[in-house]
Amino acid sequence: MTPVIHFLNVLLPILYLGTFSVYFYDFMKGEKKFVNVKRLFIFITLFTHLIYLLLRTFAFDHPPITNVFEIFTVLAFSITFSYYLLELVTDIRGTGPFIIIISFVFQLISSMFIADQVEVREVLKNNLLGIHVINALLGYSGFTISAVYGFLYLILYKDLKHNRFGLIFNRLPNLEVLEKLSFYSAVIGFILLTISITIGIIWLPKAFPEFSYFDPKLIGSGLVWLLYCGGIVSKTIIKWKGKKLILLSITGFLIAIFSTIITNFLVKSFHSFY
Amino acid sequence: MNFLAVSINHRTAPVELREAFHLSEDEVRLMIKIARENLLKEGLILSTCNRTEIYGIPKDSNLSHSQIQNFITETIQNTKTSIENFQTFISRESVKHLFSVATGIDSMLIGDNQIFKQVKDSFQIAEETQFAGFLMRRIFDSATRAGKRAISETAISEGAVTVSYAAVQLIEKIFSSLNKKSALVIGAGETAEIAAKHLADKEIGRLTITNRTIENAEKLANKLNATIIPFSNFKNLIYNFDIIISATSSKDILIQKDDVKAAMKKRSYASMVLMDIAVPRDIDSETKKIDSVFYSDIDSLSIIVEQNLTKRKEEIPKVQQIIEEELNTFFEWYNSLQSAPTIKNLREHFDTIRAEEVQKNINKFSSDDREKLEIVTKRIINKILHAPTVELKKVNTAGTGAEDAATKIGIIRSLFGIDKEKSNEKE
Repeated sequence: MTPVIHFLNVLLPILYLGTFSVYFYDFMKGEKKFVNVKRLFIFITLFTHLIYLLLRTFAFDHPPITNVFEIFTVLAFSITFSYYLLELVTDIRGTGPFIIIISFVFQLISSMFIADQVEVREVLKNNLLGIHVINALLGYSGFTISAVYGFLYLILYKDLKHNRFGLIFNRLPNLEVLEKLSFYSAVIGFILLTISITIGIIWLPKAFPEFSYFDPKLIGSGLVWLLYCGGIVSKTIIKWKGKKLILLSITGFLIAIFSTIITNFLVKSFHSFY
Repeated sequence: MNFLAVSINHRTAPVELREAFHLSEDEVRLMIKIARENLLKEGLILSTCNRTEIYGIPKDSNLSHSQIQNFITETIQNTKTSIENFQTFISRESVKHLFSVATGIDSMLIGDNQIFKQVKDSFQIAEETQFAGFLMRRIFDSATRAGKRAISETAISEGAVTVSYAAVQLIEKIFSSLNKKSALVIGAGETAEIAAKHLADKEIGRLTITNRTIENAEKLANKLNATIIPFSNFKNLIYNFDIIISATSSKDILIQKDDVKAAMKKRSYASMVLMDIAVPRDIDSETKKIDSVFYSDIDSLSIIVEQNLTKRKEEIPKVQQIIEEELNTFFEWYNSLQSAPTIKNLREHFDTIRAEEVQKNINKFSSDDREKLEIVTKRIINKILHAPTVELKKVNTAGTGAEDAATKIGIIRSLFGIDKEKSNEKE
């Protein structure tokens, strides 16, 4: 099984690059020639990636969430998978390259440094941890996609304000659609992060005797959760719209990234498993 | 094929002349009547604001283009023309010109798909006045097919190519569903009316008109099922609108930056689109500096128009390819309208039916009778086909026009389903 895993490990960045190239070409040319080819590429990439993740889980007897490079490959998958679902539901296909490129970068880094880790701490084999981490990763994928749509919104907003009618104007969906996509991705991310935090709060004190509510990672995640919660409330109750909301989503994403970097690499935490 | 076409269009004549030659529907019907009596067996007259064209098969094979030109100028009096004001075509070129017109590549506004409808309407008149005969119908079918293919297979009609429509295209880049939005059109002149009509076509949620002369605002509002607000007070009400299009002839700025600032505050900074398509401008361009306000004037909208026109021009070779294909298909059909191949096809057609029936029933006959069956059935077919064969041979003899012959042969072919059979074979 290991040679197949190694082969897929090399193949996956190539597949992501291929999918990105088709989406990018289609975005640049806008000839509608590759509409179906794009879907085929993304489907093959995701299917291969799923097989790869399952093979890793069975071959190494733990879900691929035990080190940063395993997490990167899961992130690559979950970002593209979330985008794929969004594309299927909304039929908006012009924004793919901006999201798939992120998955490509994650997968490339993962493929370069991932190791065949058979021995892991017993706690990392726990199913609840799996659900906790997978939900957190999917949640962060939602925030990533929300931020990408937010950035696209700001670029188009600027182009429209300055009456620039180039590629961005011609290919991207309208501002309201970008705002909606950003908002819905954030809502999905928020729900998944809520599930992840809930599981964490129930399970972590039992699994880790050194558990603390003042753990930096917990505080970071709580802050991100609060920010997105505030954003959703502003949109639904206070009726915030447009640029203000988009800036909030991007701020949430930046804090999420910042907090992840700090809590994973700079501060000592019981919550760090690698 | 003696198919003539004479055209006076935007390439050959200035606007005053085109206006003079523009025919109303009644005038077209009258011209058809005269043309049928004196010049053409069948044909089509197309008249739009940018072109007036006559297509047809002459009664007399010696009829020249100049006679058709004289007919036009004599019918439409008080106009001075010269030979350069007319474009003339014959045979394949005439058909090609009609296809070019129908596909929009000959239009002043390349890809204008209004012309496709106008060609259809002209043909409808030709049908009603029995000016469209067998050949004209076939040419029209091919022109329609070329027009439809140009729209569906190329981007020749995509994107806005007028400032008013570009304004709507730009609005659609900001708002997703216009049926939930409200718009105010300031002005009731031609430009304002076109812009308002575009918004109404896009099913805008609420359309309001304001104009200095209230009667004109009312007239336009009635036409488009819109409401009106008084011009004297409109500035205080602009906060109610997501979209404002201004197209007045006012020499002064009508909406100042402070008006928009105040409106945005009242709207809690929900996006507002300001389209200033007036010259001189009606809206202070400084409004674009306000957050969530999207301001465009005629110059910026012209950029969109230019871009779209360039894109459409790039599509012309693709449309020309479609025209060539349709021309080839049409002339392949037309060339089949000859006596010899038709007699051959007709005989093959009947013999196939005969052979199939004989084959089906062969077991009902003894082996001795089978040979006789072949002989008898062949003799029956020969006898049935004798008279049509003689007639078909006569069709192309001297004294009968080529188009008459083609029409007769065409009817025979269609009557016995030979063309259908041939196209099935091809597939």
